[in-house]
Amino acid sequence: MNANPQVAFNRDRIVTVSVMGHIAHPSFPGLPAEPYRLAADGTPFLLPTYGGIVYNVSVGDSAFGWAADCVHPGVSVTFPSELGNRGLNIFACVGNEAIVMSGEGKGAKGVVTGKSGRFSEHVIIHFPKAVRDKFAINDKIVIRSRGVGMVIEDHPEIQCKSLSPQLFDALETHTVDERLRVPVVAIIPAHLIGAGAGLTSEGGSIHMQTTDRTEIAARKLDQLRLGDIVALEDYDSRYQHGYLRDATGIAVIGQTDGPRAGYGPGMTLLMTAVKRRIEPVVRNSVNLFELLGLEA
Amino acid sequence: MLRTNAHDLVAMAVAGIVSQPTLRQPGYIPDNEGRSTILPGMSGIVYNVRTGDPAFGWAADHVEPGVSIAAANEGADFALHYLSCMGNKALVTSGLATGAVGIVTGEHARILIDFESDVYDKLCVGDTVQIKAEGRGLQLLDYKNIELKKMSPLLLEAMGIEALDSRRIRVPVAMELPIRIMGSGAELNSEYVDQDLMSGDRCLMRQTRIDQLRLGDLVAINHADHRYGRSFRTGAVSIALCIHGDSVMTGHGPGIMTLMTCAEPCIEWVIDPAANIGNYFGLVKQAA
Repeated sequence: MNANPQVAFNRDRIVTVSVMGHIAHPSFPGLPAEPYRLAADGTPFLLPTYGGIVYNVSVGDSAFGWAADCVHPGVSVTFPSELGNRGLNIFACVGNEAIVMSGEGKGAKGVVTGKSGRFSEHVIIHFPKAVRDKFAINDKIVIRSRGVGMVIEDHPEIQCKSLSPQLFDALETHTVDERLRVPVVAIIPAHLIGAGAGLTSEGGSIHMQTTDRTEIAARKLDQLRLGDIVALEDYDSRYQHGYLRDATGIAVIGQTDGPRAGYGPGMTLLMTAVKRRIEPVVRNSVNLFELLGLEA
Repeated sequence: MLRTNAHDLVAMAVAGIVSQPTLRQPGYIPDNEGRSTILPGMSGIVYNVRTGDPAFGWAADHVEPGVSIAAANEGADFALHYLSCMGNKALVTSGLATGAVGIVTGEHARILIDFESDVYDKLCVGDTVQIKAEGRGLQLLDYKNIELKKMSPLLLEAMGIEALDSRRIRVPVAMELPIRIMGSGAELNSEYVDQDLMSGDRCLMRQTRIDQLRLGDLVAINHADHRYGRSFRTGAVSIALCIHGDSVMTGHGPGIMTLMTCAEPCIEWVIDPAANIGNYFGLVKQAA
């Protein structure tokens, strides 16, 4: 990893805390509800969705084109009590190490790559494909959570959320005057941001909305991959997510696209600031797979 | 006069009870700048905020004008949500105000009813209000691609909609909202409650005069497809009703509840400051 000594933060004062989750089982609404969800045009569909061990979708793969609805790559974990799950969802940071503590996969190491929001609230963890075969639903995974409380020394007005020191070190950020330059692969305009607006930005997800396929294709947003770092334009995510001119968010694509209105690839917010203090710089490839040196 | 299937609609009773406001411990919500606040707003009998009043400026969060009712169990509450239509008549069926008649003016986390000024003092939390629900299934027979939601035949008639040609109609609205500020509620289906306009850019609210919005105003949103959820689609148009007041929270603001939607540019709109459900139903706030 390319540690970036130029941009200092309170590295020595960040506390590392265990948070635990069980591998989540996929779920559907109970009878007599139909199993179908509705696509934006009203077509009923039945597709794999969040939760579970996903064997064949990984960070680095395309976020689009899967026969799935906002599926989570790798493994999704949840904690069985609401408040405990909130602790897991908020404290786990993208880039944190996760260790399997029970079952046949005991000792396997993974990396947190995203979070999901309202209606599921999972933490999403990457493991190499070969080791996923050893996992069982309900296996315990401990995350050494580290990142909440992080302050960038020359940019105290930039709020970091779900951002691990590991990932911040790997992102090649630069200070230019009062701004922090952050490499991203795309900038998402406010009118293409949907579900997650008005909901918490300390965890969960904020989704691109992809109903207008022509608009998405014209902006080449359908080229995005899971794990890509992107910017949210005119979005203030300091205290929940919402529209504000000249506010900027940095996020990572955590979940795939899906057919529902208001939805598309889910993103986990990493940094946010108002008054253009974050300056996204578009590059060809800025993806967790390379940034964190993930194993396929 | 637009042709409808109003004669085919089924009218059905649904009931709820006047709700009690609730707060989560410790009650604080963060405002746009992160300051912790405790404010009244949702639920209950709101004595001094009514349909027709400003949507902005109250010392409140998500204030629900008039009386908010809910049903005790989840299934019954969904029926109350999905069957009640704007403009339906509501009748108080228990307590000191028994017999008082109101009008359904919104659907938020609860169903919102406007009563005449002398009714509020007689209402008690827990009193039962029954709605003659009518409007589900309502269609414009000559404009099948325009979908109506929670629209009573009475409201449709009152809105003064013009037929322009075989594909297009024109709806009077108080203002147009830009799609880029449509926020919280994008994660929900569009048959359920509302979507907030995001008022966090306070300067934009003043510049565009959106801060002049009133509770009960009809609004148009260009490029908004509200048929099955709420999403951006070029050329789609949705007509909505302002049902609750502003919020201090980021991603929130006055609530906009869908009344009409079309995936194609077949709904036009004309700005009319009188396009307010309070004007349409003669809901008048009298001095206390």
